[in-house]
Parts: sequence; C-alpha cells; structure tokens
Amino acid sequence: MAQAARSVTSPPTAAAENNLQPFFVLHKAAPPRKPTGKTRRRIDLSPQKADSTVQVLDDNFRFESFNLLWCKIDCTMRNVLREINACVFEEIDRWVRESFEAIRACGVPNLARATRPHPIFNRAETAASRQLFTAILLTKNVEFVDDVLTFVDLGVHLRSSGCHVAQLTSLDFSAKNGVGGCLKTLLRQFLTVGIDAPDISILASWYTEQGNYESPLVVIIDDVQRCCGSVLSDFIIMLREWVIKIPIILIVGVATLDALRNTLASNALQCLFPRGFTLGTPAERMDAIVEAVLLKHYHGFSIGKQVTTFLRNFFLRHDGTLTSFIRALKIVMVQHLLVEPVSFALVGLINEEDTKSFGGENTLLRETMVKRCLDLPSFQRSSRSNRNGDIWDCGLSELKRFRKLWVCMAMCLYEVGKNYKITLLDLYCEMLEPQLLNSGTPCHFELEKDDHSLFGGLQKGGFVNQIIQIVRGLPAVELCELLKSWETLTRSITKINEKVKELQSLTTFDENRPRRDLTETSKRHTAKSNVNGKRDGSTINEKVATFVDCTIRRYMQPIESIPFNEIVFFDNVDKLRTALIGDPRRRIQADLLESHKFLKCSCCSKNGSMPSPSMHDTSILYTLTQEHGDLINLHDWFQSFKSIISHPGSKAKQRLRLSPSPKKRKGSIEPRNRSDASIQAEFCRAITELQIIGLIRMPSKRRPDYLQRVAFGL
Amino acid sequence: MESNDVEEEEFEFSRNYFLAKELGTSSKKSACKLSDINIVDEQELRDAYANLGPKHEKEINDLMNSYKKSYSEWVFILRCGFGLLMYGFGSKKFLIEDFASSALTDYSVVVINGYLQQIHLKQVVITLAELLWDQLKMHGKTTWENVPKNQPFNTKSMDDLIAFLDGPHLEDKECFVCVVVHNIDGPSLRDSDTQQYLARIAACSHIRVVASIDHVNAPLLWDKKMVHTQFNWYWLHVPTFAPYNIEGTFFPLILAHSGSAQTVKTASIVLQSLTPNAQSVFKVVAEHQLAHPNEEGMPLNNLYTFCRERFLVSSQITLNAHLTEFKDHELVKTRRNPDGQDCIYIPLTSEALEKLVQEIIH
Repeated sequence: MAQAARSVTSPPTAAAENNLQPFFVLHKAAPPRKPTGKTRRRIDLSPQKADSTVQVLDDNFRFESFNLLWCKIDCTMRNVLREINACVFEEIDRWVRESFEAIRACGVPNLARATRPHPIFNRAETAASRQLFTAILLTKNVEFVDDVLTFVDLGVHLRSSGCHVAQLTSLDFSAKNGVGGCLKTLLRQFLTVGIDAPDISILASWYTEQGNYESPLVVIIDDVQRCCGSVLSDFIIMLREWVIKIPIILIVGVATLDALRNTLASNALQCLFPRGFTLGTPAERMDAIVEAVLLKHYHGFSIGKQVTTFLRNFFLRHDGTLTSFIRALKIVMVQHLLVEPVSFALVGLINEEDTKSFGGENTLLRETMVKRCLDLPSFQRSSRSNRNGDIWDCGLSELKRFRKLWVCMAMCLYEVGKNYKITLLDLYCEMLEPQLLNSGTPCHFELEKDDHSLFGGLQKGGFVNQIIQIVRGLPAVELCELLKSWETLTRSITKINEKVKELQSLTTFDENRPRRDLTETSKRHTAKSNVNGKRDGSTINEKVATFVDCTIRRYMQPIESIPFNEIVFFDNVDKLRTALIGDPRRRIQADLLESHKFLKCSCCSKNGSMPSPSMHDTSILYTLTQEHGDLINLHDWFQSFKSIISHPGSKAKQRLRLSPSPKKRKGSIEPRNRSDASIQAEFCRAITELQIIGLIRMPSKRRPDYLQRVAFGL
Repeated sequence: MESNDVEEEEFEFSRNYFLAKELGTSSKKSACKLSDINIVDEQELRDAYANLGPKHEKEINDLMNSYKKSYSEWVFILRCGFGLLMYGFGSKKFLIEDFASSALTDYSVVVINGYLQQIHLKQVVITLAELLWDQLKMHGKTTWENVPKNQPFNTKSMDDLIAFLDGPHLEDKECFVCVVVHNIDGPSLRDSDTQQYLARIAACSHIRVVASIDHVNAPLLWDKKMVHTQFNWYWLHVPTFAPYNIEGTFFPLILAHSGSAQTVKTASIVLQSLTPNAQSVFKVVAEHQLAHPNEEGMPLNNLYTFCRERFLVSSQITLNAHLTEFKDHELVKTRRNPDGQDCIYIPLTSEALEKLVQEIIH
C-alpha cells in the first residue's frame, strides 16, 4: 500500500525511465510450474474471509468449466450457422465448377505460352474470355462483422472441394498500397511465401508449374463497399486480362447491388460476368442461434428476463449484429462463473450420464459445493429435509426436469408463432416473464428512463396471448399439422405427449368426419353438416387453446422459483451492460461530476451540487463548465476556479493539505505569490486533464481567450 | 410509448446544446481577456506545477487498493480470451502496471506507452515474437513447421510476424504474451493504420491485450469488426482520480506562453525518439548556437556542409527530412540573417540548450 502511495505521486527512477520508452518489457514469463493450482491461488490477494471460499474453488477449475461450457456453445453456434449457409455454399460450389469448365472450354494454353509474362487475348471472343466470372454474395446486412465468419466458412468449404482459395479483405484494397498491395496478399496466400515484387505473371507461372490445372482459383473479397474503388477496379481489369492463363473466379460480398455499382468504375463492372447469391438475414440467423443455444441444446445455463430483454433490444436497436449477441453470451458465461461460486456445478449438469462429475475425484470440492448449495436462498425457501447427497442429486435432476419441460413448451409455442412472423427472441423474452398469463394483462416491459431505451418494451399485446388466439382461429388442416409437429416435439415428455396425442385423435376424427359425411349423406345435408363441422372444429380449436393455456400455467414456471436455480440462472443486467458497452463518454463525465462518490471522502459531499475547495481540481473545473455556454471564457473560468479554491471557510484546511509538500513550506515566506502560482498551476493541470479526456477543445488562434465545451449533458 | 422516450431524450440533448450555444453568444460581449489574469512568471508556474501535490491522496490510494481484489477476476477474463479495456477518470498507468506485475507473472508482459509521440509498432511486434518464442521454448516446444528458425525476427515482414503470433503452436490456450497499452487512444496510436495493426495483433491466439483509454470519444477509433472480433473488449470502469503526470507531459500549459512552451524535457524526449544521425544534426545546430549566441542561427548552407563533412547526411534531401521533423516538433525554427540567408535556430535559452545537449549526449 505504501508503495502504491509513492508511485501514484512520484514514480521511482527506474520506472520513470520506462515511462519515456515507446515500449518496454515489464517482465518475462515465470517458468511453468507443474501444480498450476498454486499459481492461481497466489493471485488472489484479497484477505477477506468471504473470498477464501473462492480460493478453495480453484481458479483453474473455473477456467476449465468455462472452456468446457463455452466450447459446447461455440460448437453448436458454428454448426447452426454452417447449416444455414450450407445450401448457398453448395450452390456456389456448383457454380464455380461450371464457370471453371466454361473457362477451360476456351482452350488450355500450352506451357510455353502460359509462362510468357503477358496475358493471352483470345481472338474467338466468348463470354469466358472477355469477362471474369463473379459471384455476388448479397449479405443484405448493414454491418459486415456478422459475415466475416461466413466468408471464412465459404473458403473452407471451397478448399475442401478442391479449389485454390485466397481471401482478401477491404484492408488489402487501400489507396495507399494500390494494386501491388492486394496482389502481394494474393500471391502470399496462393504461393504461401512472401514476395517483395508482386507480379501477376508469377501467379501464372506458379499455376502452370504446379500442374494445378484441374482446380480453379477462387478469390474471395469479403467487404467490397469498404474497398478503395479505383484499386479494386484496376485489380478486376487486370484479372480479366489474365483469365485464360489463370482461371480466377471471383466471389465478392456486398450488401446490395447498388453498393457494388457505387464502388466499382463502369469499365470494371463491364468485366464482370455476375451471378447473384443471397445469404440469410440477421433476424433468421438470430432465431436459429437462439433456438439452438438457449432452447434445443441444453448448455446448462439460462439467462433471465432482464438480460434477455436487454440483449434483444441491444440487437434490434443499437448494434444489430449477431456477433455482439454471441459476445454478450460469452460475457454472461464469464460473469456467471465469476459471481456465482456454485456455478461450477453446471459442468455436472450438462454431463447427462454423470451427475457427480463436477470436481471429478475432488471430494473436498464436491463437499464444499454441496454445503454452499444448501445455503442458497432458493433452497432455503423450498425447505426440504433430506440427506445432503440426496438433496443435491434430487435438486439437480429437478432442475433438469424443469428445464426440459420449459424448453418443450417454448418450442411448441414457437412452432405456432413461426408462421405468423413472431420472432423467437421476442417470444423468448416474454416467456421468461414471471407472471406469464397469470396477470391476465399482456406482458409489459418496464421502462427505465436512464437506460437509453435498452429496456424498452416489446409491442403490447403479448405474444403468448397472440399465439393462443392464433390457435383458436387455426383452420383444421393447419391445426392437424401443428399437433403433428407438437407430437414430435413433446416425445421426450410423456405427460404432455399423451395429451397431444389425445387432441390429435380428436382432430383426425374431426377431419375424417366431414369427408365421411360428404360421401355418405346426400347433398341436401351438406349445409347442415358444414355448420356442425364448423362448430366441432371451433370446439377442437378451443380445446387445443385451453390445453396450451393450462400447460403454460402448469409447466412454465419462472426458473427463479426452482431450488438451486442459482447454479444456472444469471440475470445481472447492469454488470453485463458495463462489460459489454462501456459508454465512456457518459461515465467519465459522471466520474468528474460525482467524484466524492468514488473517493468516498467526508469533505466534499456536504455542499451538494456546489463545488467545494477540497474537491479534485478537475472535478471543480468541470462542474464549473456546466454553467457556461459552448464557449468558455478562460479568464472568467479561472476567476471562479480561484474563488472556489481560495474560499475563506476552507483556507485552514487548504493549508493543512498543502503543507506536506516541501515546496509549499519553502514558499510560505511570501504567501501571496506562492498561492497565486500554485493556484495557476492547479488550474493548468486541471485543464490539461480535461484536454486529455477530451471534454474541452483548446483556444484557437481566432479565439485565443475561449475554450470550447465538447459535451452537453450526460 | 418508449419511442417517445427516445425522442424526448434526443430533444433534451439538442436543447442542451442550443441552450449552451445561446449562453455562449450572450456572454461573449462581456468577455474578459486572458491577459487580465495576473499570470506569474513562467518558470515559477512550471516549478509550482512540478511540485503540485495531489488532493485526496489517501482516498485515491484506497480506491486503487480497492481494485486489487478484482485482479484475479481480471486474470480470469483475460484467460477466457477477452481484452481488458480500462476507462474512467484518472491515470490508469500505475494501476495496470501493478496489476500486470502482481497478477500476470505467469505471462510475459510488454508495455506500450501510447501517450508518447512516436511508436514503431514493428519493433513492438518483433519483441512480442521473441518473447513468445522464449515462452514456447520454456514449454518444451522447439520445433514447428511454419517458422524457419534460421531467420531472425527482425528481418521478417509484419504479416509473417503476426502469422507467427497467431499460429496454433500449442494446444494449451494458456500460452500467451500480454500486451499492456497505456492510452490506446494516444497521439501516436490514433491513426487508423496503427489501430488496424493493433487490432490484428490483439486478435492473435497467443496475445492478450490490456489497454486503457482516456478520451471520451475513444471508441470512435474502432469499427464493429475490431471491437467484437479482434479486440474483443471487456470494458472495465476503473476511475482512479490519479493525476495524469506522465500523460500530461506533452501538453502545453495553458497559462504559459505558447512560444516558449517547449521545455528541455519535452525536447529531449522527442530527440531521444529520433535516429542517432538526426540527434547529431540537432547537436550541430545547438553547438553552433551556443558558440555564437548573438547570431540569428546557423545558416542552412553551412549546416549542410558541416553535416556532410561529418557523414551525418548524404544529401540535401536527407538533411531536409531531418529539419522537417525538427520543425514539426518545434525543435528548430528558421529566420533570416542580415545577409539574407535562411538560418536555423533553436527556440531555447542558452542554459536550457546546454542542459539539453548534455541530455542527448548521455
């Protein structure tokens, strides 16, 4: 602590030298120790008793749990995304083959011709020799980040089917490096060696020498909009000239066709022989991910309503990328493991066959875990009196059973909503509502003013209620289809499955009857039987709706009410938000305006909003800026700063504070001057600090006496 | 209903802005001049500045210490593959270095001082590669395919180096070099090329980044690809309220006259970051100025001949390159002497210049 005190104010000389180095090695890695557990434990410096439990539960075990859990989720997500793209990828693959055949049909140059360092111009001008086969992959997405992985996957897919693939990004097409830059990357990827003087003829000779004539060369450019248009145009024109020698096939990712037209020069556009392909929309992908990660494959943890709503709103209103959603899930996972000591049991939970697997042979760990679980508030509420081991195993299996039911019901509801443009994410948020259906009123999402509308509500009307209404009005054929799919969905849960089957038998009877009626009775009765059919149909619909209503009430309990829910349940939205978004603009201002909250001193908080002389200088100065307009007169500002700093009431305190500094003691012979100099120095320092954090702009030559405010309001 | 709220908020924001604008124009008329303040002598101001004590020293230390209990959490987050981004008011330099030296002992740590004016990222990457090489050797892994051993790292291209840092050398995800970047939004790292390189480095499998930002608009440096997939930031709000002693060195004091804002300290720092030849050229000018204190400076032609004789420059172009660099950092200025020659001089007093020359020699 003493060292900290010293270093904050005056760094030791060795460090001072390092401070002026552009970079330096702080220390090298300690040699690896075998029992890694010890190393971790050393890190935990906190002396508090509460933390000692965390010490016992080794950090390494926490990390292992994280790796295991996250690997599973990551794997699932990647598979889902790959499946979504599989069709398009197949299609592209086929097209690449066709294009390659078309190019080859123009004739294969012999070795001597092919290695000459200039392109071949074919006299018999066919489309293949004039133009460059180009797949335009429409991402239909404003944000490109989601598609990075898609293009990587596409590359892998094409490589596996025998193409040579090079993947270029928009960074390779910069005006600074010109065509040479992208050619360099291209050669680097195809030839797998760095070449200082890039030339396309090198690629041509490589292609012939390697005898790679059987496979096409595919060049993937992932984000055309952000490429430098002229460089890309030149690149395309160059490739076109060489297309016979080097059968290059281009795949470009672009949001819309218009964007492509805007980026490329018209003569480059004419070089392309395009074919369009379309990727899935972000919303579709989102639903697939939510379905896979949060519902179908059980990954052991569930997020609460607040977190889900936050994520939904963040996706829809702020960020719009799936990547950030996935990242947020990862952060949730990390935080859950950090915050909740019993969360390690998750590992045991997801290993179906082995409920005792957590901790493995480490019985001490298991015991501590069980002990801690018994202290969980959720367990205490449920007040059961069993033997410890039983409680534990029962608790876990109960959690699993509950989860299974809940997921099953959710999937059934989504099955209905899917065809009526209800997204899974919306539905999921609503289903987490603790008083789902009980209140009778449609679910509403509380609005908190300072939350930047990230908690803002879904549309009113309640998706679950809407779904029940849909079921009521469903035509017989669709109802029948629905029940059929429910039957498959609920197969693992006998109770519900039986009821679904019962309903199914009713509809099949109902479905067959009108037909029988039609065949067996005369046409005169048709009208009557139709009325009957309608009535029966509506009663069936009513029955199904009641069934839905009842099962929701019965089985979709909020997870918060289940014992041991703390193991899997995370709903700390504030923690997630600070880690995910940060918001420095607001936070840094708040730091300054409410410095006493962080410093927890007794002297500053008394005056309320008025700055007191004991406050941090920069805090005082920034508080003062709030009274100014967008321009701050330096003179006025200094005068008010001075008057606050040298406030008569606090002069004694001030002197006391300044006295430890040797300089101040020396200067006390001429108090007037010293105080002027130090006040001005303090003022300068505060302004420099405001400048570093970017809250003011310095005086310009035109307005030497004014500073400019940058931020207005939090 | 909630859309109303958003509108309301936006309205509130713009109203604040226009209110501030209005206030600005009305108060303009009764404006006072900066010169009305009785500014103390510059040297006195600088002395006072250098000796300023911090307020709330105890509370600031308590605050710093309160973060210590989160160190193990931060290590865990790093190990999970995130980059730590620390923000909040106050210098975070000490905090991060303390964290690195007490909790990251298992990993090599390289510190980049982003608040300095000039940083050669390539050098940093070479050091990182060397450290990783050592670390891999320690793990008993000495052979791998894609790294030709005979080629030293400093002759490799940036792409090769980054490929090495990103290589799947070990199954164990635990082998990484930690890069601490103070002020990743600092003046030398602010351009987009550097940020792209930093992002690529951060995305490497054997690298983890701990960085700090101070500027409120720092996130504007990054696009979503960088934030989400490369840096993979985990934001940590850690206000320290510690003074920006080192970070503020390069900012001129607002009450000191801008003409003589250049101090020996800042000049020597800039000089130290230049090549030895450039330093020698500067020394030539300085020595000339010290020897002829009453002249306008060293005539350009003389400087060229002198430097050429000593093999400091090979052509006028190289000399001009050095001079441009000096001028950019306001180390030298030009003026004409009575003969009409362009003269180079250093805008410092003789004492300060002597001190500066001494400092460059060491």
